[in-house]
Amino acid sequence: MKLSSNHGFVNQLLVYTLVMIGFSGSIGLGTVWMRHQISVTANSNKQLDARIAMIERHLAETITAAESERDTQVLLRRNAEWNLGLVAPSHAQIVRLPEDPVMRLAAKRNAGLFGDTAPASASVYLPLARR
Amino acid sequence: MSRGFASNYRLVLLAVGITGCFVGVGVRLVHLHVIDREELMAGIEKARRQIVVEHARRGDILDRNGSILATSRSMIVLGVDPQVLRPEDQAKWPELAQMIGMPLGELRRIFETKTRPVRAKAATGSSEDAQARFAIHTPSTEGKEAPAVEDETEVEDRLEANGEQPIRWAKLSDEVTETTYAKIQALGIKGVYGNRVYRRAYPHKTLAAHVVGFVNKAGTPAAGIERYADFYLRGRDGWREGERDGKGREVAQFRTRDVPASDGYSVILTLDSTVQHIVDNELARIADTFKPEKATIIVSDPRTGEILALGNYPNYDLNAYNTIPRHRQHVMRNLAVTDMYEPGSTFKIVAAAAALNERLVTAGSLFDCSLDVVDYRGRARRMPRDDHPFREPISVHDIIKFSSNRGAAQLAMRLGDEKFYAYARAFGFGQRTEFPVGGEHGPETPGMMASPAKWDGLTITRMPMGHSVAATPMQMHMAMGVIASGGVLLRPQVIREIRDASGEVVYRYGRVEKHRVVSEEVAKTVGKMLMGVVAPDGPAKEIAIPNYQVAGKTGTTQKIIDGRYSTRHHVASFVGFFPASRPQVAISVIVDNADAHAPNGVAYGRTVAAPSFKRIGEQLIQYLDIKPVYEAGGSNIVMGGVHR
Repeated sequence: MKLSSNHGFVNQLLVYTLVMIGFSGSIGLGTVWMRHQISVTANSNKQLDARIAMIERHLAETITAAESERDTQVLLRRNAEWNLGLVAPSHAQIVRLPEDPVMRLAAKRNAGLFGDTAPASASVYLPLARR
Repeated sequence: MSRGFASNYRLVLLAVGITGCFVGVGVRLVHLHVIDREELMAGIEKARRQIVVEHARRGDILDRNGSILATSRSMIVLGVDPQVLRPEDQAKWPELAQMIGMPLGELRRIFETKTRPVRAKAATGSSEDAQARFAIHTPSTEGKEAPAVEDETEVEDRLEANGEQPIRWAKLSDEVTETTYAKIQALGIKGVYGNRVYRRAYPHKTLAAHVVGFVNKAGTPAAGIERYADFYLRGRDGWREGERDGKGREVAQFRTRDVPASDGYSVILTLDSTVQHIVDNELARIADTFKPEKATIIVSDPRTGEILALGNYPNYDLNAYNTIPRHRQHVMRNLAVTDMYEPGSTFKIVAAAAALNERLVTAGSLFDCSLDVVDYRGRARRMPRDDHPFREPISVHDIIKFSSNRGAAQLAMRLGDEKFYAYARAFGFGQRTEFPVGGEHGPETPGMMASPAKWDGLTITRMPMGHSVAATPMQMHMAMGVIASGGVLLRPQVIREIRDASGEVVYRYGRVEKHRVVSEEVAKTVGKMLMGVVAPDGPAKEIAIPNYQVAGKTGTTQKIIDGRYSTRHHVASFVGFFPASRPQVAISVIVDNADAHAPNGVAYGRTVAAPSFKRIGEQLIQYLDIKPVYEAGGSNIVMGGVHR
């Protein structure tokens, strides 16, 4: 069989055209898919940004509320409301010591341990011999 | 031979068809991309491009221990579009009203007022507030139901034809928190929505109000550190350029430029919230006891010039600055820097320190303070009266200790006009203290002190006792700081550090010496003289703090009423520091016009101001762990029981 050169050329052209259309379509689909993925990622990032911003806003609100509760006036009011009875030490309660407090406290703790407050004395028990 | 599918005729037809399609597509593309390009692009640009501004968060203001004095938090400006409200949501209105703290009747009126007169908009603009106002003032349309489904454009057109304009946004509240807004959103009332804005919050309300200052609702820093340090605090807004879809939502993948916002820096103050609270409590006590016109207390570290607390009476709540009526707005003034008074006897430290520094006298030099008239530069000058006449000559030490007006005058006479004036200036009187907030930015120098060329014959006898001169409480405080710091005039510091959003220190403020005024030796000598004031035989012995060397000076000044010194209106003050030989805190207490409720009807510094100094000092000893100074050995502290 002898094929006409025209037919061969047209057949080849058709094949190449179809291949090219297929290839272009693939590239197009690939591009669309890629752009979709970019869109999905960008939207995901945007949502994350929005979520971070929201958390930061809530954090700021909570910090402000916590700081308001730490206000001295509020703490004093709570102290009264809850009958905690907490009071700041007055100046009269503080005793200033010119000496080392450790030695002073040790002396206070050990006072009487060795009978150092009584006059020096010794008790000796002597067994009496039985006859 | 079979010709098959690929006959000449069919092939040509197919080729022509395909070519025709391509040509058609090509022509359309050329039309769209070349011929109609400008028009189409303009429409697309207008419809799709958008620039979103991302607001920077304003930095915080913190005290020296990290307590937040001012911060920014997101608030919701809540509003409603009455045109899209649904009848089935009416049952949720009471709950919404309760959430935003609005009476239900008012909320109902706003919701049901759907139009406003067109001319009203033209007259007053179209701000959000105006919309809300008109919504309230427009006659009620109660009973009419909004159409459930109606084209918005049709509504607008119809209403505008009637001479009314539809309200598309009426403000409900501008202080809805995020948490409340989340609950409101959960209610699901269509047409109720909010816009986020950053608002300034002051968690400690009145604490250090005159130093911190505030930002108004328009976002403009109006006073205090908020205004002074605005450059650091405000940050820089960012912006995003991109596209939006048909529903106005941003299409994230088409962002072309994204400039992130830079949050503002945080400003760390030298103030200590606890010390400030002690001061505020004391001011409240003074206000309760003496009902003064005004009062100021300043506490600082004389070694560095750092202000630990600064309080004024009257005070105000920073969160409610906008509720203060116009006639009460003077409460926002930082009296410590703006208001001046005659310092009275506290000013005597100038004459004594100057005469000692010039080696004209020693602490033991004697002066005859019984003289009524003293010759000065060839003219007889009448001496001021002493409260307690001194029959015998007294030493310079006793002039300060017992506050002799005549003695101070003679010290100044020894110096001469020019030298005395120069020393007073060196102590900071008639000069800016350079305290950054409160009012020293104006063209006028705070306080009043005339130059010797303008003095009359009596000024040299009156100024040394603190008359004929006016100073702000801050000037007097820093002048006493000269003695406490060893003879150096320091700049009062209120900002300690600037930190960026990540907490890194950007700038650190340190001690700033303006100049040396007197020698260290002279400062110590004057300090010892001031200790005599609270010594067991001193005039203010009641305020001595056991085990602590307190140095200070009382001041009682007659106020000038209608151009004359009044005997019924006084400014009482006590300015001092401790421990005298190793100063850690300087405290100034100034109480203005407390005579009506003062003992014996006269507000003396000793009876009105000095007790506050003692009470503050005792609390600071505990809080700042100030140790007494002993001649030898260390000092320690233990807790004892309550003394009964």
